[in-house]
Amino acid sequence: MKIRLLISLVGLLALAGCSTTVNSVENAQPIGQRQMVSDKRVLTDSSLDRKVTIVGVNQTTTAGGLLKVQIELENRTRSLQRFLYHFEWFDANGMQVENVLSASLPEQIEGMESKFISGIAPNSQCKDFRVKFIESN
Amino acid sequence: MKTQSILSLGLVLGTAFFAGCATDPHYVQTGDKEQIVSVGQINIQDYANAANDAVNQLLASGALDKVSSPPAVLYISHIVNSTGQQIETDLITGKISKALMDSGKAVTTSTDPANKGLKQESDFLNDTKSTRLPDFTLSGKIIETIDRQGDTRRSTYTFQLALNDTKTGYQVWQGEKEIGKQGTRSAIGF
Repeated sequence: MKIRLLISLVGLLALAGCSTTVNSVENAQPIGQRQMVSDKRVLTDSSLDRKVTIVGVNQTTTAGGLLKVQIELENRTRSLQRFLYHFEWFDANGMQVENVLSASLPEQIEGMESKFISGIAPNSQCKDFRVKFIESN
Repeated sequence: MKTQSILSLGLVLGTAFFAGCATDPHYVQTGDKEQIVSVGQINIQDYANAANDAVNQLLASGALDKVSSPPAVLYISHIVNSTGQQIETDLITGKISKALMDSGKAVTTSTDPANKGLKQESDFLNDTKSTRLPDFTLSGKIIETIDRQGDTRRSTYTFQLALNDTKTGYQVWQGEKEIGKQGTRSAIGF
């Protein structure tokens, strides 16, 4: 009985040591209104989706006429999660626009944290986008 | 006999284990899941990451849109290497330069000596002097900071870039990207 209790305590301590969660505060009535985008999701890694969830996608156009996309992510676990993401851009004909900066970018998100990632279209011909996520080591 | 069988089985299993771990040479993509992360040096994906961030920040700032006759003419100036390692700065300036040209927001001055010679000859033959001076220069610095605590080592590479207006002499935009990497002695092999 004592051994079981000890094991449980050690387990709880180990879990507490690994978890780092984030508290946050913001203004209750935000002034800025996000232009949310109706999105289509293809989820093949349900494990990643359970940990790091896409909350929403919004977009705007920069002063220079380039499409800017922002994605809100939320870590639903209590531990740090690492992943890679990369943006793909498409023109009005649905053709992918070549981008020298298309490499996957590393990102990390703390436990229970909400975070934004964003990308700016490589040129003004880009009208659509796709973002890919992959769990990192 | 029994010992021999056990040894043979061990040999077979051992061979199978190591064969399973071996990786044949194959092509990889920059920034893929297999990427190598070195704590004490800048990896190829770090240049891509820094360039991506710089271009996003610069395009979002609108600084290049403020020239009277777009696209802006950009001179890629010097990137100071303040790290303890040899760095090919073209790995970052090349990406930034191409991305800005692809965006239609800027063109960069040519560094090709043959092009310069032919331009001078063209000006002479046409009796013109049509060279437009650059609107901006792009300069920068790469700084390395190393922290150690026990077996843990952390390297932080700070990529600073600045856009300078050649007419006013003012710095009109500055971008900064920090890339931090951490590992323990046993994991990073020193």
